[in-house]
Amino acid sequence: MASGQRAQWKGFLKFGEVSCGVALYTAASTSDRITFNTINKATGNRVNRVFVDGETEELVPKEQQTKGFEIENGQYIVIDPEEVASAIPESNKTLEIEAFIPCTDVEDVYFDKPYYLTPDKMGGDAFVALRDGMRKSKVAAIARTVLFRRMRTVLIRPHGKGLIATTLNYDYEVRSSKKAFEEMPKLKIEGEMLDLAKHIIGTKKGDFDPATFDDRYEAALADLVKAKMEGRSLPKPKKVEVSKPNDLLAALRESAGLMKTAESKPKRTAANANSGTGRQRAASGAAGKAASLTAAPQRKAG
Amino acid sequence: MAPKYYWKGYLKLSLVTCPVAMAPATSESEKVRFHTLNRETGNRVVSQYVDSVTGKPVKDENEAKGYARGENDYVILTDDDLDRVALDTVKTIDIQKFAPAESIEWVYLEKPHYLMPDNAVGNEAFAVIRDAMKADKVVGISKLVIGRREKAVVLEPRDEGIVLWSLRFGDEVRPEEAYFEDIEEEADPDLVPLVQKLIKQKTKRWSPDMVSDPIQESLLALIEEKKKALRPKKSVKGKKDVAAPESNVVNIMDALRKSVADELKHRRAG
Repeated sequence: MASGQRAQWKGFLKFGEVSCGVALYTAASTSDRITFNTINKATGNRVNRVFVDGETEELVPKEQQTKGFEIENGQYIVIDPEEVASAIPESNKTLEIEAFIPCTDVEDVYFDKPYYLTPDKMGGDAFVALRDGMRKSKVAAIARTVLFRRMRTVLIRPHGKGLIATTLNYDYEVRSSKKAFEEMPKLKIEGEMLDLAKHIIGTKKGDFDPATFDDRYEAALADLVKAKMEGRSLPKPKKVEVSKPNDLLAALRESAGLMKTAESKPKRTAANANSGTGRQRAASGAAGKAASLTAAPQRKAG
Repeated sequence: MAPKYYWKGYLKLSLVTCPVAMAPATSESEKVRFHTLNRETGNRVVSQYVDSVTGKPVKDENEAKGYARGENDYVILTDDDLDRVALDTVKTIDIQKFAPAESIEWVYLEKPHYLMPDNAVGNEAFAVIRDAMKADKVVGISKLVIGRREKAVVLEPRDEGIVLWSLRFGDEVRPEEAYFEDIEEEADPDLVPLVQKLIKQKTKRWSPDMVSDPIQESLLALIEEKKKALRPKKSVKGKKDVAAPESNVVNIMDALRKSVADELKHRRAG
């Protein structure tokens, strides 16, 4: 279906004894970022990239280049990835669901690229039944097939009226969060600190639509280039003050207090006259040290 | 795989600020890497920069980034310059908003990173932010300059740390309507319970085995074999005598083909 779009892959989706014709469409592309040219500082000219023999330093023309992998220091087996790719069979063009996993089990750090998965005209009934069954059972599906010349695993889940198949990175490409964080101290925050932080969060709750987000980098870079061209000195990066452990509670109290003030000033002064002095005392420690940070909210509060 | 921090900066919630370090959750380092070789000498091929006008090789220390201001006219920018772009989001993740956990559509998730305190001074402040998000079942929303773009990022408490996702831009995600418009809203009510029954039978716990790479496994096994075969030779004759590449290639192709065929057969049977 999806008239006008080009399918990346066409084949079958199979679960149990049921199979239906499906297609995969790229769901996300990468838009351009600013690119720089590499320049020779000594001459101001652009540079070209050439490929030379690591030992003889002579140019190696494209047709003389091949690929290989290293067996031992400096010893290679010549093998071309193109040939490796061509050795991989076209496969049976079937995304076979091997397992369903509970949605709570999904390890999202494996996510690679998302594809819209749609039925062809014949497969509609089975496709829609699978979609609704998965949604009701709160599961995602794991399927595997040869995709783009590699054996790939995809995670399939309902999305609106369709399904999204996300390719997953291989086991050796992903470091688990458990491993990444294992050397961190086991700290558990409770009591007032947690309550204050939760209060701050409460004042900043809302919905977020990523589609509306704007990238300010290009404009900022243009300003920087302009400043440099005009010989103006670039602004020094602002020094960031870190909250010292001893001042953390005070900083939290002040943060929570500032928000309260900003939100409903009259109520606070009437109802929390006592906590006000406490807050001030506590805040004085952090305020001086974090002066640059507090400037904006203070203005707001006053 | 030692974590490689590729960014260090600050995590900030209101007046609380702590130093943090960030490492990507994914890495290519364990992948079997192919190198470009010179077919005639068997040596590695390396890339080299040459001056486009003088044709002479350019020394590493003379390589610089240039912003095109006109034809053949560049403003040179150093890394130090780039760090001075007037955006706080170059160095500070200031959490401006909190949204319900799971409220960010998966299709926007671009790349996961692991965020942790950079030194002991920040441990407690970091834990406060993490635990409060956990307790409230929310994720933090902020922005950060990553790879010369300012991206929306989502912070999600996980284990002892925080997973930071960079998000795709709105114009990078294709509108689903174009793809899904012709699909039926409702499934046949008789079919759904049958599908759910099948789901129940085939439900498993997640395991990293599900994302194995049979081709890489075969390549690694082959490399291992070749290493063993080469070792005794090497001690006698030295480096030059690399086993005949032609026959290797054939064997490798056959082995790969077989590994994929086996995988497909095995998986289907199981």
